[in-house]
Amino acid sequence: MTRRNEAREEAAFLRGEVGVDGAATEADQRDAAEVERDKAREELLRGRTWLGRELLTWLLWRSESGDPLVEVEGSGLVVLFTGRITLRGLAGEVTELTARGAEAPYAAEVRRALDAGLLVHQARLRFTQGEGDTEKVYEATIDAEHLDIRAAKLPELAAEEEDDRVLERLFLAGQLSRFVDALVAAFLEERAGRGWAKRTVPALKRWMQAPGGAEGRRA
Amino acid sequence: MVRAPMPIQSGTVSFARFRSEPAGARPDAKRWLLRGLRKKAFEPLEARKPDDDRAAGFVELEDHDATGFEAGLFQGEHALFAWRIDQLKVPAKALKAEVDRWAAAFAAGQGRPPTRREKAARKEEVRQLLRQKAEPSSKVLDVSWNLDTGEVAIWATSRKVVDEIAATMEEVFTVSLHPVSVGATAARSKLAEAALGPTPALVGLGQEVSHDAA
Repeated sequence: MTRRNEAREEAAFLRGEVGVDGAATEADQRDAAEVERDKAREELLRGRTWLGRELLTWLLWRSESGDPLVEVEGSGLVVLFTGRITLRGLAGEVTELTARGAEAPYAAEVRRALDAGLLVHQARLRFTQGEGDTEKVYEATIDAEHLDIRAAKLPELAAEEEDDRVLERLFLAGQLSRFVDALVAAFLEERAGRGWAKRTVPALKRWMQAPGGAEGRRA
Repeated sequence: MVRAPMPIQSGTVSFARFRSEPAGARPDAKRWLLRGLRKKAFEPLEARKPDDDRAAGFVELEDHDATGFEAGLFQGEHALFAWRIDQLKVPAKALKAEVDRWAAAFAAGQGRPPTRREKAARKEEVRQLLRQKAEPSSKVLDVSWNLDTGEVAIWATSRKVVDEIAATMEEVFTVSLHPVSVGATAARSKLAEAALGPTPALVGLGQEVSHDAA
């Protein structure tokens, strides 16, 4: 028997698909919907992903005003959700929903899905720090499970020398990390406080249930 | 010679984030880094056992064939290096076509189809032949490590590769790399466990699940 076959059989045994005699164990009797729900549940619980999803959902709500959400190195940080947003959840028949469009994240359809028990799992965010000449704009896609930075756009580099440009790029990538860390710290402070259940969650639910689009609510 | 684009220098900015502990620059940083990087320096496939189809290890950021790490390891407070993965893949389609051709010739000559054992033996021979002709595919992932703050960025999107690089770094540098997810940050902040379960009103979970998770 080749090493590959041995490895494949061992893996099947470790997954519980075959017994010590190599025969198949009892077949999975669950229906497709049940399998999907179990997978969604496992994803939510792995590494406390629910906290990442609650963070992004809270951030969507807080960012709608356009006001600075936290201070980073003495300067206000404005966050705006832009473009594609992915929601995931366990409740109901839909376990994943993706919305596209420049204002899609703040659309009434997205809020209704959140109210139905889905949470933001991945989103494209625009971070603006500073004002006027000192304003710097970054964009990145963030996921709830790892908070990895994906497909980020950094502000234009000022340095001309190659080594300086690398350093500037590393600095800007580091800034992006610091923005995310500052938002996580602000979220966790609120999340662990008594006001979370008493004030924040009811306010979030009211926002999810409010009629009309973002423009209507701002008016 | 491998000259892939270096994401640290240009192109798409995608990276997984970790925090190393203990943080803070060491007085012997260069020696310590060199020792760690050389422990798991990249070795090309041809120099390894013929059965190995994959080689992975650290290389210099700017020269993906070099493992001396004498030049360009530091930029300011950052240590910069890369992780190279070479993989030999025998094309399954070619392997199957070759074995099928042999099986047809065997059946015509012997008046019977080959047994499963004969077919498996031939398949392994063909695989070895095709392997010798195959060119390894090469991937290089950058790593930047701010030695002052302990921030580590692995410039890759595949979680499997990120985990492989992080585990190797922990081993060769004798450090812990902590993820920066919200869950991991909450755990490090020593926030009360009871306050960090899923919010039933948001997650759409029953109360019993929040007990499981907390």
